Amino acid sequence: MKVVVCLKRVPDVAEVDLQLDPSGRRIRTEGLPYVINDWDNYALEEAIRIKERTGGQVIALTVGKEPDEEVLRRALALGADDAIRIWDPLLEEADPFLIAVVLSQAIKGLAFDLVLTGVQASDDGYAQVGPMMAEMLGIPHVTLVTHLGFEGKKALVRRELEGGLEEEVEVELPALLTIQSGINEPRYVSVLGIKRVAKKEIKVLDLEALGISPSEIRPKIKVEKLFVPPSGEGAEILKGSPEEVSDKVLEILEKGGVI
Amino acid sequence: MEFAQKFELYACLQCGKCTGGCPVAMRTPLNVRMLMREALIYGVDVLLGRPEIWDCTTCKTCTLRCPRKLEPSEVLIAIRAKLVESGRIPKNVIDALEATYVHGNPWGRARQKRTEWAKGLGVKEVAAGERVELLGFVCCAVAYDPRLQPIAQTFAKVMAISGVDFGIIGIEESCCGNEIRRMGEEGLFEELKDSNKALIEGSGAKEVVALSPHCFNALKNEYRLEGVRAIHYTEILEGLISQGRLPLKGPLAKRVVYHDPCFLGKQNGVYEAPRRVLEAIIGTAPLEFSRSRETSLCCEGGGGRMWVEGTGTGVRNSEIRVKEALEMGAEVVATACPFCLLTLEDALKTTGLEGKLEVKDILELLGEALGVEVDR
Repeated sequence: MKVVVCLKRVPDVAEVDLQLDPSGRRIRTEGLPYVINDWDNYALEEAIRIKERTGGQVIALTVGKEPDEEVLRRALALGADDAIRIWDPLLEEADPFLIAVVLSQAIKGLAFDLVLTGVQASDDGYAQVGPMMAEMLGIPHVTLVTHLGFEGKKALVRRELEGGLEEEVEVELPALLTIQSGINEPRYVSVLGIKRVAKKEIKVLDLEALGISPSEIRPKIKVEKLFVPPSGEGAEILKGSPEEVSDKVLEILEKGGVI
Repeated sequence: MEFAQKFELYACLQCGKCTGGCPVAMRTPLNVRMLMREALIYGVDVLLGRPEIWDCTTCKTCTLRCPRKLEPSEVLIAIRAKLVESGRIPKNVIDALEATYVHGNPWGRARQKRTEWAKGLGVKEVAAGERVELLGFVCCAVAYDPRLQPIAQTFAKVMAISGVDFGIIGIEESCCGNEIRRMGEEGLFEELKDSNKALIEGSGAKEVVALSPHCFNALKNEYRLEGVRAIHYTEILEGLISQGRLPLKGPLAKRVVYHDPCFLGKQNGVYEAPRRVLEAIIGTAPLEFSRSRETSLCCEGGGGRMWVEGTGTGVRNSEIRVKEALEMGAEVVATACPFCLLTLEDALKTTGLEGKLEVKDILELLGEALGVEVDR
């Protein structure tokens, strides 16, 4: 089976005090630590497991600049056969639609059976690229995939619904699946493992190589403004020693009739 | 080289001194003598699925006691290295290793916050271009854990009081990698070492002082520093006390027992300095555990066990330790290692001894004796 997996490198902002850049439309990215998007990490592990189970090939793609090749090196270290990075200066402010346009254009010629990607990216959280790519490729898609098996030319897929429910669906291949976190346990990729593939070729494609004319680069979404939400009312921050704070919490809970 | 040859497994007598001295063999399935034999007969790959591989604290007692000078603890680390290369390692270990790769510390805390403990203390930073005689290596646990930050704060203040030209690296300091190597991530250890080594050697300092025996071990034995000597903080303090450069106000009236950290005592032979410093603080020699110095009981905090619970059941070594301390009439268990401090203090909670016994780092006791105030 030939599996294409789309990956994104995102900033790890769990502990960082984010700042806006002077345009007010973007986050300042200088000095931010970067990691593979968590959902994509599960998609990558799933792609590698399919290859280990059924043979075939894994091709990893990303849209981004040279440092973003880090996620492709990770894929190569795990056993991906090929890696492709797409970049063009015209993609600087690409929205999910444009990302889907360039990715699907690159994937079209690959004679694939399956396209995997994460449900969403942790930075802008649109969750749009997967389904849009499927439309552009003219193939069915399933989102929020939590389990994956195969039967002949079909994939047997479980997907997550609200309220703890799961849905089981059958989908004809080729298809696109967006992978939910928790579908598997992604393995560790060692520093030596990454060093071993340091010299492996990564194909770099720009718009011209993809056969996309600059006039097609029209985003559907333009970010007007980013801002920190104004703090609302009703929150009370308790100060003091742990003992004092816990006394106050107790008092509030008692007053509110909670305990 | 073949695994068996590399670790000279053919030379193993199967005398069992390794397992006999192993601090976790009594409470986990880990049997290092058997692992040596199985690796020789069946090949190392059959051992990769054994969960007890992660029970080892890398205290090194097995290696230190081997009559054939073999290195069972290194065999264990090499098995972990094979697991790391396969990618199949416990989730907590993955998280610690990835966080160290991305943020320079195993807890995933922001690099920008690495020197927050030093706020307002006026500590020089060599990465900012300052020159110092004594360079402090703070490392992750002490830099970020609010319970441990007073150790670094007290040390910086004590250095100022004694007129030592002291500074730290700054936020560019990364994890020393001692535990990283012992969890089997050799490649990541090498990267951390290269980065720290360049900063330390470029600082112009003659000595680098570690606040944790784990960092001390890595700096002293594994970094191969050129022109810079690695020391543990108790060694600096011992020197200052003997030169009369610490204005101790008079003995702290406490009954203190000293717990030897494995990476300070057993592995690096620093037994006297912490005892001399304690003696100066309390005015008398500290109490001694029945198992001390070379036979000190490992607290189980080393070798990655800060991140992996291990398969052991029953009483923890740290619980045995605090109970013994109470029985001998101690009021304080003093140690000189942040991991020992945390595991022994946890044992106070799990044994219900909170309030009856305290666990303190030697620097905390010194801070009290000198009247040095730090934020808690």
